[in-house]
Amino acid sequence: MKRPAWLDDPKRELWFAWYATVAFYSLYSVAFFIITRTQPPGKPWYGPDQVVGWFADRHSGLLVGFALIFVLGGFSATSIALITYSIRRMSVSRAFAYSYLILYAVSAVPGFLFICVAMTVGAMRPERSAELQQWLYDLGFLSFSGTMGVFLVGSLIWMAAILLDQNRVFPRWFAYLNLCNALTEVVIAPSWIFQRGVLAWNGEIAWWMDVVVFGIYTGVFIFLLRKMIRREDFGTGPLPDLPPRRPPHTRPAREAVTS
Amino acid sequence: MTTTEDALEPAPATDGSRMPGEADMWFFVFFESLLFTSYFCVYLYFRTQNEAAFLQAQSHLLPWLGVLDTIVLVTSSWVMARCVQLARAGRHHTAKRFALLTAGLGVVFLALKMVEWVRLIDAGETFTSNDFMQYYFFLTGIHAVHLLIAFVVLGILVYHPVRSATALAGDHRDVRDVLAHDRSLLGGHIRHALHREVT
Amino acid sequence: MKLSAKTRLFAAWFVLVAITLSYLWIDHAANARDMLLASTAVTMAAIGFALVKVRIILREFMDVRHAPPLLRRFTDLLVAIMAVALLGTYIVGKAVAS
Repeated sequence: MKRPAWLDDPKRELWFAWYATVAFYSLYSVAFFIITRTQPPGKPWYGPDQVVGWFADRHSGLLVGFALIFVLGGFSATSIALITYSIRRMSVSRAFAYSYLILYAVSAVPGFLFICVAMTVGAMRPERSAELQQWLYDLGFLSFSGTMGVFLVGSLIWMAAILLDQNRVFPRWFAYLNLCNALTEVVIAPSWIFQRGVLAWNGEIAWWMDVVVFGIYTGVFIFLLRKMIRREDFGTGPLPDLPPRRPPHTRPAREAVTS
Repeated sequence: MTTTEDALEPAPATDGSRMPGEADMWFFVFFESLLFTSYFCVYLYFRTQNEAAFLQAQSHLLPWLGVLDTIVLVTSSWVMARCVQLARAGRHHTAKRFALLTAGLGVVFLALKMVEWVRLIDAGETFTSNDFMQYYFFLTGIHAVHLLIAFVVLGILVYHPVRSATALAGDHRDVRDVLAHDRSLLGGHIRHALHREVT
Repeated sequence: MKLSAKTRLFAAWFVLVAITLSYLWIDHAANARDMLLASTAVTMAAIGFALVKVRIILREFMDVRHAPPLLRRFTDLLVAIMAVALLGTYIVGKAVAS
């Protein structure tokens, strides 16, 4: 059997990481928004009995959806690793890459896994007291939203690295998009104070707008990471640009396609 | 305004060929402006649902203080624009002084903002007092954060002489300039929206 | 009369300050029997003035006047979007409230 071409591709690990990133974010969206329905978040002002109802509504979804996350959530590491790689490819100090890596790796625990644990525990024994269920509910949502500070610092690190970078790994406007993302994460902070209104953890400003910006940001960086891998020359100097796309009618009939 | 000064300043390009700042920076201006506009729309919508309560809470603000704030910010924008003009004319030393003056006016603005906040908090009007105050502190707060970012940018402009001096065409200065104006743009937004008062 | 760049900048600043000061005037002028109606007029006027100020800042202070046509059109579009969003939200909100 002929050896597949991609096995010899020096970029195969990068592509694996990229496809894993896409898979992870897809899984994340499906698990949180569709299976468990923990996003959009539950209402912060719910009393204990309403929380019991919330858990009951989502009983199977929570258990199944978060079980999937527990098994496959490790793939979040590929996204972080790829971004860290992109920062290492820049001309800036390696300290940027390491800081980003540590920040995001650590923040995955409160910012991503806590809610999975808290909600699964809450769903596991529906006969638990209503007050305890409400406690788990609060813990889950507050940890998910309230720990944005760690992520926002990570965005600022990536932004600073891009602005200082001489290797043109990313366009400068993406650095500014990092800043925009960081700023929307600042506005989550008041969610610790408000139980209702636009700044509560499910509020129009603290959640909805933040998610829209984050969604755009994630889509953009996935696209830019793909472009980076295509441009990668494994050197230490400026990353070469992609060759300009030729119009279809000038392409030779049979062209070897590389990624 | 002396004739020698005018002679030193290059004739403005009216053929639309000079891009102020860089396109990437303008992306940021657009994105942030739209984001801030969205925050304002949220505020305006909830205001219409509760107009009487909002008006009542709003009456605790001092319109003249808000107007003064805006004038300080607009002046800082003007000073910054002058700074860019001077840089383009090659008068880097004076331009640097104007950049510092911009920062100084920014500090004055923040000080006035503190005065406003302390006055309100002293009177018992805090972030959580009512809906209007929530919006007020939130919008002025996030605006202040943008101001702090502008300080960082101005700092880079003033203290990175290599970059500034080599950019004789004012490219880099323009970039900082655009960002510095962005904050007065946002500030203008807030001033008019929040400091209206029906006496 | 062709203004020097410096004078033009000063004129822009002057106009912006004048508009800002006018807020004090419209506040006073809106001494109404019907507080809500006056408030609507004041709000719409305030938004309108702010949009004018934003455009002045863009054109004069941020030098869009001498920018390539694409940027000029984009900034005008930005102001238009702000206008529609702000005034639209306010009008729709008022309609929903009544």
